[in-house]
Amino acid sequence: MKFAVIALRNLARSRRRTLLSLLIVAAGTIVILLTAGFIRFSFEGLREAIIHGGLGQIEVVPRSDIANRGSSAERPGLPGLKGWQELRNAIEATPHVLAAGGLVQFTGLLSKGERSAAVFAVAIEPDRERRMRFEVKLREGADLPDAAPSEGDEAVLLGTVLARNLGAGTGDVLTLMSLTADGTLNALDLRVVGLITTGLQDVDSRIVKMHLASAQRLLATREISSLIVGLDDTSRTPEVQAALERRLGGREPSLAVVDWKTRAPFYGQVESLYLGIFWFLGSVIFALVCLSTSNTLLMSVMERVREIGTLLAIGTSRAQVAAIVLLEALWLGVLGALAGDLLGIGIIAGINGLGIQMPPPPGATGGIELRLTTAPGDFAATIVLMLVILGVAATVPVWMSVRLRIAEALRHV
Amino acid sequence: MPDQGSSPRPLVPESAPPIFEVSGLRKSYRLGAVTIEALRGVDLVVTRGEFVVVAGPSGCGKTTLFNLLGALDGPDSGRVRFEGSDLGRLTAAEKTLFLRRKIGFVFQSFNLIPVLTAYENVEYPLWIDGLGRAERQRRTEEVLASVGLAGRMRQRPDQLSGGERQRVALARGLVHDPRVILADEPTANLDSKTGAEIVELLARTNSLRGTTFLIATHDPAIIERSPRRVRLLDGRVVADELGGPSRPGGAR
Repeated sequence: MKFAVIALRNLARSRRRTLLSLLIVAAGTIVILLTAGFIRFSFEGLREAIIHGGLGQIEVVPRSDIANRGSSAERPGLPGLKGWQELRNAIEATPHVLAAGGLVQFTGLLSKGERSAAVFAVAIEPDRERRMRFEVKLREGADLPDAAPSEGDEAVLLGTVLARNLGAGTGDVLTLMSLTADGTLNALDLRVVGLITTGLQDVDSRIVKMHLASAQRLLATREISSLIVGLDDTSRTPEVQAALERRLGGREPSLAVVDWKTRAPFYGQVESLYLGIFWFLGSVIFALVCLSTSNTLLMSVMERVREIGTLLAIGTSRAQVAAIVLLEALWLGVLGALAGDLLGIGIIAGINGLGIQMPPPPGATGGIELRLTTAPGDFAATIVLMLVILGVAATVPVWMSVRLRIAEALRHV
Repeated sequence: MPDQGSSPRPLVPESAPPIFEVSGLRKSYRLGAVTIEALRGVDLVVTRGEFVVVAGPSGCGKTTLFNLLGALDGPDSGRVRFEGSDLGRLTAAEKTLFLRRKIGFVFQSFNLIPVLTAYENVEYPLWIDGLGRAERQRRTEEVLASVGLAGRMRQRPDQLSGGERQRVALARGLVHDPRVILADEPTANLDSKTGAEIVELLARTNSLRGTTFLIATHDPAIIERSPRRVRLLDGRVVADELGGPSRPGGAR
């Protein structure tokens, strides 16, 4: 015989009331599980879209660049990283690194006949991007070829909105003008091989993407802006970042190893917004579950006043009486949370099975399929949370039970 | 003839040491706007091994007196000494140990814990006192057998008759071998035949174990066969009579 057994049997006495309490706890658990799943889906989706859309998990960049132009992903400027092929070899020898690719970002003016547009140009190495599992969302045409283009055969990808604004399509030849490293104006003819989207309309209206060699030819340089590093697993980012910092520590110029989160401040904002919503919702659940279960626990104590008086009269200490009432609450918490977790798994499987298309988020151009995910930690967390809620809910019933006066309680009918 | 005096001197039976020494006990309750004086100065001495009936009509103060004797409540004034020590001076923890080890209660409506079996109800006082499993089992089975319930141990209270429930309650009161059993109207919720059986059981336990019994009742069948009768009226002891059968069971 244990107090936990007595508490469990007490719950079994009024099955309907216990069932109702369990349902309330389970419902709270399900809401928390689904919300956590949705938020994780949003975070993961956004994170992988950002990383595999061209950001990479890590960027290795001269410290002076960061000092002059900040650490965010869009940082057009003249390339200043010398001897980068050797640096790349060192980076690619690091565990968990899939590949590292040179990057040049610059601004320029793109013209088709009489129409011109200011563009943001991203020059990359397509073979390296493929090895880093980056996704190019082609809407038309083909991706950039792997091999460096020969002079006079330069290829370019245009953002869909930019192409529309310029009236350009695949096969058209456009002229891109920019300033070279020594400050003279240079121009390069580029043939449009494909139209791409980044998912963000604003970016699609000004992005052009070309081979690194084309950009170096236009800017008359052999240097790059930075190296983008792709990893086999995003969760390895901190560990690889630390390894690279150690490995590249003594180099000149001094290099910064920047993770994707630092380069995408937008992600941090979305994260804190979602977490704010999550905590607000969590507080509402806390209050609802706490108040409703507190009420039923109190009812069950008030119905057992004489019984509690008897327990005290035959030598049960007040702490032991408190333990019985608290254990009833904790049983409700753990059983309700377990039921909620089991139901939640089913509901999540059902929602994922439906293949619901989520509308595109503001500023984005494509929808995404809803896939809620759970982590083992979620289940443990819901159980702990419900135990805490029920513990709080039990405070008044426990207080009522321990302050009973025995003689009065025994008279209670 | 019983002493009909309004304030009899406390009777002190010779030889045995006193277990309860009650002096000047007063207790009143507020019931809404009315104050009820339940006890108006009670003096009483009970010696070890006695079988005492406290008789009187409803509302005479029997239950209040028993609550004070069992340290379930405190008096407004006066004192209850148990084996020489003042119950009013016990700390909360000492009071719990007093209830756990020295006193056994039998209530009018049995007050069994409904979620526990007969066996578990009886075992409970030993369990909260931290006795080992084997010792608990031995004592629980023994006392249940002594009240004639060896075959009904796995039943819950709602599966037992009134008489059986009161036997379980008595077994629970006895299992920890207390000095005193305080039984408040133990037969009031039973038919007369079952009530007589319970009284028989109380008397036999008193003679076999030497446990002191104080029984509050207005059941003439119990009052008549008791060796000592304390009569309460309006919160005062109006008579304290010795005589009748030397042992309440009438066997000796």
